[in-house]
Amino acid sequence: MIELDDVSVVYRGGVHALRNVSLTIDDGEFVVVVGLSGAGKSTLLRALNGLVPATSGSIKVDGIEVVGANAATMREVRSRIGMIFQTFNLVNRTTVLNNVLMGRLAKVPSWRSTLGMWPAADREMAFQALERVGIVDKAYVRASNLSGGQQQRVGIARALAQEPAVMLADEPTAALDPVTSHQVMGDLKRINRDLNITTLINLHFLDLARQYGQRLVGLRDGEVVFDGDIADVDDAILRMIYGRAITPDDLLKEA
Amino acid sequence: MTDVSMAAAARPTKPKPRLTSLLVFVGFVVFTWFAARQVSFEWATFKDIWVSPLWEKFWPIEWEWVARRENVFDPMVETFQIAIISTIVGCTLALPIGFAMSRLTTPNKPVYFFTRTIMSVVRAIPDLFWAKILVTAVGIGAFGGSLALTIFSLAVMVKLFSETVDGADPRPLEAAKAAGGTHVSAVRTGVLPEVFPSFVAYALYVFELNIRASVVLGLVGAGGIGRVVEAQRGFFQFDRILGILVVVFVIVVIIEQISVALRKQLL
Amino acid sequence: MSIAEAVDEVGSPQRPEAPTGGRRWVVGIFALLSIGAVWSVRAISPGLSDVVEAPAEMWKIFRAMFPPAFQTEIDRGVVGKVFESLYIAWIGTIIAATLSFPLSFLAAGNVAPRWIRYPIRQLFNAIRAVPELIVAMVLLAVVGLGPWAGALAIGLHSIGTLGKLSTEAIENADSGPLEAISASGGTWISGMRWGMVPQVLPTVISYWLFRFEINIRASTVLGLIGAGGVGSELSSQLAFRNFPQVGAVLAFTVALVLVIDTISGFVRRQVISGTGRKVDGGHNEALVEDMLGSKLAPKK
Repeated sequence: MIELDDVSVVYRGGVHALRNVSLTIDDGEFVVVVGLSGAGKSTLLRALNGLVPATSGSIKVDGIEVVGANAATMREVRSRIGMIFQTFNLVNRTTVLNNVLMGRLAKVPSWRSTLGMWPAADREMAFQALERVGIVDKAYVRASNLSGGQQQRVGIARALAQEPAVMLADEPTAALDPVTSHQVMGDLKRINRDLNITTLINLHFLDLARQYGQRLVGLRDGEVVFDGDIADVDDAILRMIYGRAITPDDLLKEA
Repeated sequence: MTDVSMAAAARPTKPKPRLTSLLVFVGFVVFTWFAARQVSFEWATFKDIWVSPLWEKFWPIEWEWVARRENVFDPMVETFQIAIISTIVGCTLALPIGFAMSRLTTPNKPVYFFTRTIMSVVRAIPDLFWAKILVTAVGIGAFGGSLALTIFSLAVMVKLFSETVDGADPRPLEAAKAAGGTHVSAVRTGVLPEVFPSFVAYALYVFELNIRASVVLGLVGAGGIGRVVEAQRGFFQFDRILGILVVVFVIVVIIEQISVALRKQLL
Repeated sequence: MSIAEAVDEVGSPQRPEAPTGGRRWVVGIFALLSIGAVWSVRAISPGLSDVVEAPAEMWKIFRAMFPPAFQTEIDRGVVGKVFESLYIAWIGTIIAATLSFPLSFLAAGNVAPRWIRYPIRQLFNAIRAVPELIVAMVLLAVVGLGPWAGALAIGLHSIGTLGKLSTEAIENADSGPLEAISASGGTWISGMRWGMVPQVLPTVISYWLFRFEINIRASTVLGLIGAGGVGSELSSQLAFRNFPQVGAVLAFTVALVLVIDTISGFVRRQVISGTGRKVDGGHNEALVEDMLGSKLAPKK
């Protein structure tokens, strides 16, 4: 369970990225976050695993307080949260398998990961994660030799290898073509359903949100201006979230 | 019909050279003239070098002397050993220190500033000064030479390596941290693979530098081929020194070729 | 059967075999390095007791340098010596810059014909191969002791590196302006003066400044063999084991180097950014190319 209570994030220089955000997300929910660029979507996700420190308020993941947590607690929380990035964030020079193994960093003693001596059980988990996203045959391929869609699937596998309770995806399809975008969204939806992992996805494209979303959170200028079922969202609500009429740029188009 | 008359654009005046530029230029010239006087600059020397009888001392090279084992071969072996140890120890230490010195991978601000300051000072002391001090401390010979070159290797590698790390992609590091890794394992898995080829290239370069440095290290009694150079200098046997230089040059070229081949493999 | 069942029958992709090659390389290199290290250590180490005592000895000397005997050294004229090192490096760099710049035009691939280019490039390489100290030793025999030998040594030696770097700068420059000048009937010299020099001058000046920073260190060292500068003072104080004085000399040297590094770095950045070129990228590449030679520079 994720609980945000009156969370604000102010960046150095005075930018208010999040203002007094309060949200509760139950286990197994599939939540889509939409809003303009700069509305605070990225900040919201990164505040949950402490990559961006919250200026005030409380964030509890599975009951553990994230705001002001010490290094050890932070690592514990992060190990329960798998993150998927817009730019994949893979280590280009090394193999797919080594990238996925990075998901086991929190569970494996530091000296083992530093020397590259991963235990057999963790290697097995990495392989299973790769099988779940369907690219295990590329396990020993150099990450930079894969296509964008394949790289994102490696990113998903890396997050899965953590055996996380929560999955955060920051605009996971922004760098992908429409067909691959649908594949990735489909994968995330399936993972949420089959493994009951709480999923929070930032999306830029509204049609993707509509097609795959269940619960929608709308951010505007760092504030939550909508939080409810995707079915209840109409054009008026969208205009409120975006502060303007919807343009074709907000849609992915191809199905 | 409207009369279109074009007013001639006024010609701009040439911009005057800025006062600061002029001052800088004048300062430069004055300083140079002054410095030249201080070092006893003499035009005549250029001619003197050209016609100096000393050139005869350089040629012909006494190859039989060079070829005799104890004159060049054995000291070169010692030079190799000094270079190997210095490179291995110096570069190994430079790996963690280099990471600590880089904005991207440093664990915290105090460590960052501390290591940067210390390394600045270490680098500001010329390598031969280090050598002289160390030889005074531990005595003449290869041991002092290895210590000096280890510090030298460390200084060079740390500078090159930390600058490479500064330019590395920060995103895999972010992902490693997000997965819950400790700082060390996050850097190891997220940054090291990207920068390792550069590290190896620099290490080979440092090894080559150490071989070349060994030639002059003998000046301070630090062993290796430099010992021989120093001895021959005393006898003004410049032809033998030239012979040694040729040998060292050939060896360095060979190392460079090996380095290029090895790096092709790595990348 | 349905498509789904058919796919199910085939099953998901098989797990690939782990490639064995990589591991073997790593083990091999590690073994090689270990053997090399052990062989070297055994040959060099004077004996276990000496190795163990070494850090203690170094620490003793280090402690003995504090507090540094600044006043003693100032009385002995160390400040003058420090400035002498500065002048030596300055004049040396200027000599090298003046001589290497015209020569580098003759060595550039897009400018000079092959029969000139090749010998000049080999000349640069040959000069680079001779350490400054050796050049200084020889010059001492020609001009006698003192800073002039040092300045000349630095000047002549730096021609090698500066020549190589300037040549590369010229070869990397845009040949368009050259074409324009020759198309309008200009001579080769005016082509160089107006088409090439303006382009490469900022980069070349930054190389000169970088070389100046290196030469400062070299000039302090040359004092060790009597070619002027601070080195002679360090040498004599060390010989008498006057460690507080040694500490003072070191402090002055470090101060000189750091101050020059800072000023030179600042001017270098100004020169480069004045042309709108990227600042840090240029510096690092120049640094790396200087040291590795362009064919070895790692790709960024």
